[in-house]
Amino acid sequence: MRNNHVNAVVVGAGAGGGVVAKELSTAGLSVVLFERGDWVSFEDHDNDELLSQRTTVLGNAFGPDDDRYRRVVVGGDGSTEIVYPSDGAYSNIAACVGSGTVSYGAMAWRFMAEDFRMKSTYGTVEGSTLEDWPVSYDDLEHCYEKAEWEIGVAGDSSLNPFAAPRKKHYPMPPFSYNREATMLESAMKRMGLHPFPIPMLRNSVPYSGRPACVRRRTCCGFACPINAKCGTHNTVIPAALSTGNCELRTRCVVGSLIIDASGRITGVEYFDRENTKQEQTADVIVVAASATETPRLLLNSTSKHFPSGVGNRYDWVGRNLQGHAYTGAFGLFEEDIFDDVGPGATLAISDFSHHNPGIVGGGILANEFTRLPYLFSNIRPPGSPLWGEEHKEFQRKYFRRNVQVVGPIQEMPFFDSRVQVDPAVRDSWGIPVVRLSGHRHPKDAEGTEFLSRKAEAILKEAGAFQTWRHLPGSGLSGGQHQAGTCRMGEDPQTSVTDRFGRVHDTPNVFVSDASLHVTNGGFNPALTIMALGYRVGEHIAGEWQKGNRFK
Amino acid sequence: MDTGSKLSRRDFIKLATLGFGSLSLAAGCAPQHPAGRAVLSDDDAGLLGAIADRIIPADAWPGGRENGVVSFIDRQLAGPYRRFRREYRRGLDAMTGTCLEKYRKRFEALSTEEQNSFLREMESGRLRDGDWKGGFSNRFFEMLRSHAMQAYYGSPRHGGNPNYASYKMMGIDYPPIIGQNRYRF
Amino acid sequence: MAKREPVQIDRKHTQIREQVIPVKKVSPPLRILAVAFTLAVVACGGFYYYWGAASPRSTCESCHEIESSSDMWAHSGHRDFACKECHGTALSSGLHSLKEKGMMFVHHFTGTGPERIGLDEEQVLEMTENCRRCHGAEYARWISGGHSTTYAAIFLNEKHNTAEQLNADCLRCHGMFFGGTIEDLVTPVSRKGPWKLAAVGQSNQPVIPCLTCHRAHQEGSPAVPADYTDPGKIFYGRRGGPSTVLFYDRYEKTHVQASALPILTLREGERDVDVSDDPRQRVCFQCHAPNAFHQAGTGDDRTPRGVHEGLSCLACHDSHSNESRRSCINCHPAISNCGLDVTKMNTTYVESRSPNNIHFVRCLDCHTKGIPAKHESRGQTE
Repeated sequence: MRNNHVNAVVVGAGAGGGVVAKELSTAGLSVVLFERGDWVSFEDHDNDELLSQRTTVLGNAFGPDDDRYRRVVVGGDGSTEIVYPSDGAYSNIAACVGSGTVSYGAMAWRFMAEDFRMKSTYGTVEGSTLEDWPVSYDDLEHCYEKAEWEIGVAGDSSLNPFAAPRKKHYPMPPFSYNREATMLESAMKRMGLHPFPIPMLRNSVPYSGRPACVRRRTCCGFACPINAKCGTHNTVIPAALSTGNCELRTRCVVGSLIIDASGRITGVEYFDRENTKQEQTADVIVVAASATETPRLLLNSTSKHFPSGVGNRYDWVGRNLQGHAYTGAFGLFEEDIFDDVGPGATLAISDFSHHNPGIVGGGILANEFTRLPYLFSNIRPPGSPLWGEEHKEFQRKYFRRNVQVVGPIQEMPFFDSRVQVDPAVRDSWGIPVVRLSGHRHPKDAEGTEFLSRKAEAILKEAGAFQTWRHLPGSGLSGGQHQAGTCRMGEDPQTSVTDRFGRVHDTPNVFVSDASLHVTNGGFNPALTIMALGYRVGEHIAGEWQKGNRFK
Repeated sequence: MDTGSKLSRRDFIKLATLGFGSLSLAAGCAPQHPAGRAVLSDDDAGLLGAIADRIIPADAWPGGRENGVVSFIDRQLAGPYRRFRREYRRGLDAMTGTCLEKYRKRFEALSTEEQNSFLREMESGRLRDGDWKGGFSNRFFEMLRSHAMQAYYGSPRHGGNPNYASYKMMGIDYPPIIGQNRYRF
Repeated sequence: MAKREPVQIDRKHTQIREQVIPVKKVSPPLRILAVAFTLAVVACGGFYYYWGAASPRSTCESCHEIESSSDMWAHSGHRDFACKECHGTALSSGLHSLKEKGMMFVHHFTGTGPERIGLDEEQVLEMTENCRRCHGAEYARWISGGHSTTYAAIFLNEKHNTAEQLNADCLRCHGMFFGGTIEDLVTPVSRKGPWKLAAVGQSNQPVIPCLTCHRAHQEGSPAVPADYTDPGKIFYGRRGGPSTVLFYDRYEKTHVQASALPILTLREGERDVDVSDDPRQRVCFQCHAPNAFHQAGTGDDRTPRGVHEGLSCLACHDSHSNESRRSCINCHPAISNCGLDVTKMNTTYVESRSPNNIHFVRCLDCHTKGIPAKHESRGQTE
């Protein structure tokens, strides 16, 4: 059975793809939205720590599974290893309708103006492909606002003097602090810092017909049982489907783009839920499959016009893979701090996001999401035993008396950190898999050193009797904040897409996920991915309504 | 195939045969695996239990063995940890072999202090070559350690931590007492 | 409370009637077959009788899957009842149970059994009927109170559903044995109705059946009748012991003993509220719970504060019916310390719209100018 031709195909129903599908279908385009996973429900894995998105030891509650998916990771010594989605090195992004927005911690950060102008602000960084974005904060401001109101954010930016200017308030009031945050707030204020409630994609009051959050401990890494967390799965995707113009095809794996004899990209080839190969043609193709899967799809789409993959004429597809250099500190206290008010993270400072002496960029610092018992069993001061009597005693004594202050350091893009497709290894559909290689830029260690010392000082001021810092290694970054692999740019020789996410050399292929990020900000990236979704979606819909058919 | 919803002809014949056969056989039928385990032998379980009790020793709260570490590992080796079966086989045999050579005793029969020092040597990776019958030790130790922690601190549904004993030890409510929002109707 | 249909529970257990077949003249081969058949029926019948009567050690328990259940039963208050009293036999509901039991063998020999064995909702509701056979008084109180409320009453309530979107967490306290998700139960899951239950038969089923708070295999002792042999020392055989109530945890699919449930720490502002240590009420707190901050009076918290602070829920409420109308007299004689009849005071006990909630009322709520000195004993002048 042949599929009817549609106006647009969107590959990936996550933070970016969900938004684009909504923008296009409400503008009247017929859309097919592909998702390799399925709808997920809280009841599938409820409170199970060992399958949660933070500790995927027994598998990924939100997909993908270890049976059909794999990747190849190249080690520092050039050795290769096959890894599975439940391994950390896989750099997994959830495979379900809504993707990571189902189980994320839901921090709703806008990047700052400097985050779009890193090279202009800090100059060239030796060995890094640091660059300005081709769009500014002002270009994206209304997209952020749309994301905040259509998907739903609770916060109060008036308390953050470093926040980029905004035209409209958040739609919901901020969340109240838990005990830990209240304690940190006064310590931070004593230090002259500027703490404020973290903006969250989570209902602080009933919003969009869904209830207010009840503050469960199992939030970050889990689906919400009461639907108070705002993702694309319970906002824009249902809105897209309700237009009648959008068809969501779950459990369908897109393997490559279809390129006709003239070099025009006419659609996608995919495996349906019975693993039968099918084709879906469309005028416009939007790839929003994550910063690892999007380059894989482009690189797996070759023809005589695109011998090394779509958009890859100058070998930039898959380059500059970056995540966040997470760093911070732990502190132990004499009395109970833990009050079991979820999700844990409630307060942040943006004092160290930019203009730190000697540092390029920086990052926010926030108190951390609740660390459940298994995760906590791996948290020990340096030199402390990881098993035995003392370990057990620590587990018992300090679960309620430890505080973590943590933040993401903006990484320096590095050309040789990259996504390729492996020449030999294939997934269960026979599609060549992602091959990850590279390492962090040495400059990142300066940022993490700086930020972790700030975190430690805050904990000391708050009264911790023992503190220790944690620093990321120098190995390949990616993880759930993966970005940068199809960067936007004005120059086709040093970027993959234009300022609207259109892949250079093609009139009708767009990217709409964190692959577009030129730099990844010192913030959790979800809201920026959504904002870019609005930008790409708005652009395509606007052009379409002007009669442009992207030929 | 959904076997639960409709009784197909084949199922019926199967049932009829089994039904009558079972009348005479059932009383004598033995469990398939010792103590209901799926993968581990009694010896494996004894050794893993002894290791579990060193990784998480008993004090006022249960030790690793009592808190289900062995049943967790057994169940996971039949499930998502199928891919570690070979490593377990090699690792457990190597531990027993090495202990027999070094102490003339199985690991289970060593004193607590001997067990701890043996595990510390495994952890450090110092047990190598001639001392360690099997090629690797620190990686296997890390596997044992993290699986024991998963069993002890994870959800009981995976075979360990019955009744959320570790949550009680840590002072974490389970099931949590948490109400819903109050709506005015 | 709104009028509603009585709870109807389908009974699967039916009596087995033997059919008498008139015997006609038959040919020898057929006769042999008939004799063999009769012998087989007699043998099976005999075996069936034995199976139903013998100890589970030599019958049901031969298959290891139920060993722990059987051990629990042996220590339970129900240990004098044979398995079949509640579980029925392979024939008690015809093909249905024959298939069910038969599949157990298939699972056993093919190793395809479920990881954990438990009752599905249909079986849980059948159990309610089994409980009723002996615990008629408790059943009557349950059916008369709020805890026997039905799926239709809870999930199709327009006032609720327009105020709050239905969600998975509803099932934690209502319909905890329901096998599917909230989307499988009600459509649509949104604040715009009209709502309907996916399965019509679900409407009048109770959402909090007996097995929410009880377990047939729960450790306990059978009731022992009083021993009157020495009229001077009548021994009632009542033993104290841990409470036998539990809470069914939908997510772990298991019961948690009341004594093992978390103890509520409740705060009123910064002050710690004095909460009774009655373990039974920990079951109440699982559903009638404050918010995550554990602030008194939030969520569905009704833990007593004020004059009744420290009392157990069960000091006033009957556990099966929630009835509390007759409870005042347990502690308050005809007139209270203040010399007033407490049942006539301005509280929600008398009038549901009273500002003085019986759970939270304080002396100062009425004695706004200060609490009068306590009477040493009534009738004495000060």
